[in-house]
Amino acid sequence: MTAAQAHFDATHGALIASGAWHADAASALPTLEGQTVRILDGTAITQLDTNGAWLLLNAARPQASDPMPELRGFQPRHLSLLNLVAQHSASTAAQIEPPRAGLRASIGRGTLAIWGHVTGLVNFVGQLTVELALLMGKPENWRWRELGAQVSAVFVGAIPIVIGMLFLLGVVFAYLLGDQAQQYGANIFVVDGMLLAILREISPVIVAVLVAGRTGAAITAQLGTMKVTEEIDAITTLGLSPLAVLVIPRMVALLIALPLLVFIGDIAGIVGGMLVAQQQLDISPHMFMDRLTDVLRLKTLLVGIYKAPVFAVFIALIACRMGLSVTRDARSVGANTTSTVVQSLVAIIILNAIFAVMFVRLHI
Amino acid sequence: MSETVIDVRDVHTTLGGNGIHGGLSLSVARGEVIALIGSSGTGKTVLLREIIGLLKPQAGQIELFGQAVWDSTPEQMNALRRRFGVLFQDGALFSSLSVEDNVATPLFEHTELPHPLCRQLARLKLSLAGLPADVATKRPSELSGGMRKRVALARALALDPELLFLDEPTSGLDPISARAFDKLIRLLADSLGLTVFLVTHDLDTLFSIIDRVIVLSDGRVLGSGTVAELKHIDDPWLNDYFAARAPKGETVDGN
Repeated sequence: MTAAQAHFDATHGALIASGAWHADAASALPTLEGQTVRILDGTAITQLDTNGAWLLLNAARPQASDPMPELRGFQPRHLSLLNLVAQHSASTAAQIEPPRAGLRASIGRGTLAIWGHVTGLVNFVGQLTVELALLMGKPENWRWRELGAQVSAVFVGAIPIVIGMLFLLGVVFAYLLGDQAQQYGANIFVVDGMLLAILREISPVIVAVLVAGRTGAAITAQLGTMKVTEEIDAITTLGLSPLAVLVIPRMVALLIALPLLVFIGDIAGIVGGMLVAQQQLDISPHMFMDRLTDVLRLKTLLVGIYKAPVFAVFIALIACRMGLSVTRDARSVGANTTSTVVQSLVAIIILNAIFAVMFVRLHI
Repeated sequence: MSETVIDVRDVHTTLGGNGIHGGLSLSVARGEVIALIGSSGTGKTVLLREIIGLLKPQAGQIELFGQAVWDSTPEQMNALRRRFGVLFQDGALFSSLSVEDNVATPLFEHTELPHPLCRQLARLKLSLAGLPADVATKRPSELSGGMRKRVALARALALDPELLFLDEPTSGLDPISARAFDKLIRLLADSLGLTVFLVTHDLDTLFSIIDRVIVLSDGRVLGSGTVAELKHIDDPWLNDYFAARAPKGETVDGN
């Protein structure tokens, strides 16, 4: 196979090509710089395919409206291929790349996207409320089996990771706190600090973040894939509401699971702290429990656990809405899953800040 | 005698404990348009996947352009892949890319051409596949089934292969689109000098555009030849198969 070659004969205005012309032959074309090609000579061309034919034609007449050059010396097979390509070359005009969006356009588009998420969420809440109101009157329409499966997936599956994470956080927190407290001989107050931090802030927020990453992403990916494969449409056609069948069981499952997980996280965190207290601060588990019963007020525990259902509702709303708003391609499943996790984390942080201010104002 | 493009010799395949192919042999010469038929479950698609190097048979030899598919180095196999194009049953378009980029992807990956030039060549292929210019910037999800098949055909043709594999090209299309697609395949095969190997259930395709039909049955080649030649083979499945097509004109008359 001879390599493709081409040169331009300026006296006759002839582009003379030889060798095997494939897609890779583009680099063999000479630069023509505005000179018109009147003759295309293919006497020495050994092989030609549509890519090669298009490259030659495009070099000879950059615009499809330009006059066709005289084709000289081509084999009949190559000639018919050139004619076929010439017929179809009207649609191959060079495309102007759209200009890249500037900073202001990006900010504008981002703002509109955030506004779209907010209005979309409000709209979704409305639909869901109507659906819930309809379901309230008809307990037989509740999907108990689906609810059970969801609770098992959201709650039981998350127990090991919640225990592991909060235990280690308890260890780290007690260790750092103990290090400071020891300098003032205030060892026993580590228990007070631990309880306040773990029960009020660390456990609810960390568990919500974990569930948003674990369950929220899973919900969006699952509903999104169901949307792509038209399963959601099938549910609608069967006379069922996707909200009742898919969304409400997931939301109720999260509502049940999250407070329970926070409670489990509380215990794991305290056990972690207890362990460090014994090793580092000479506070025996017995003393630790004694101090715990002295200082722990029910309020501290409940503040943490009350936050959980609110986080749960937001995670479920965001995850289900993003899942159902997937368009029919693989890219949007990925994009919406990412968006679910980001939106959930932002929602958790904002809600937690609102709670903190609110509880202080209410003197709780 | 023209060159042999596909050569399958004595292939044995077992999938999940079921014997699929037991000593299957066939060969295809350059420039032929071949159809592979057989009842469901006779391993037509499995054979296609073995020929294009996606599934390894337990025993036997498969050669494309005289090169063994299953004994080549990855570099040799990649060079071989440039010489054939595949149209999968459901198109298998990349849903996250535009139509134009779908067709240009083989050019992006296998040539050193600048991307705008690849896109121009992709538009040429789309036009050859009979698609209007405005589909180029759409996404596959915005197209009808017949258009998706045409885009998939354009992608299979992107590198100007010498050999084209089509897995049930007309399934899921209405009869009018299916016939138009048949004509397009024949037109491209003739004008580009392609060898075409297609798996089909569509009798109309067999009667209109095929040079030679290969029938698979019980893991072997039952027969091969033109449709007229195959009608002489006395096989219950084949008899039923050809009987399924109503004689022309019968359904036209009203009552």
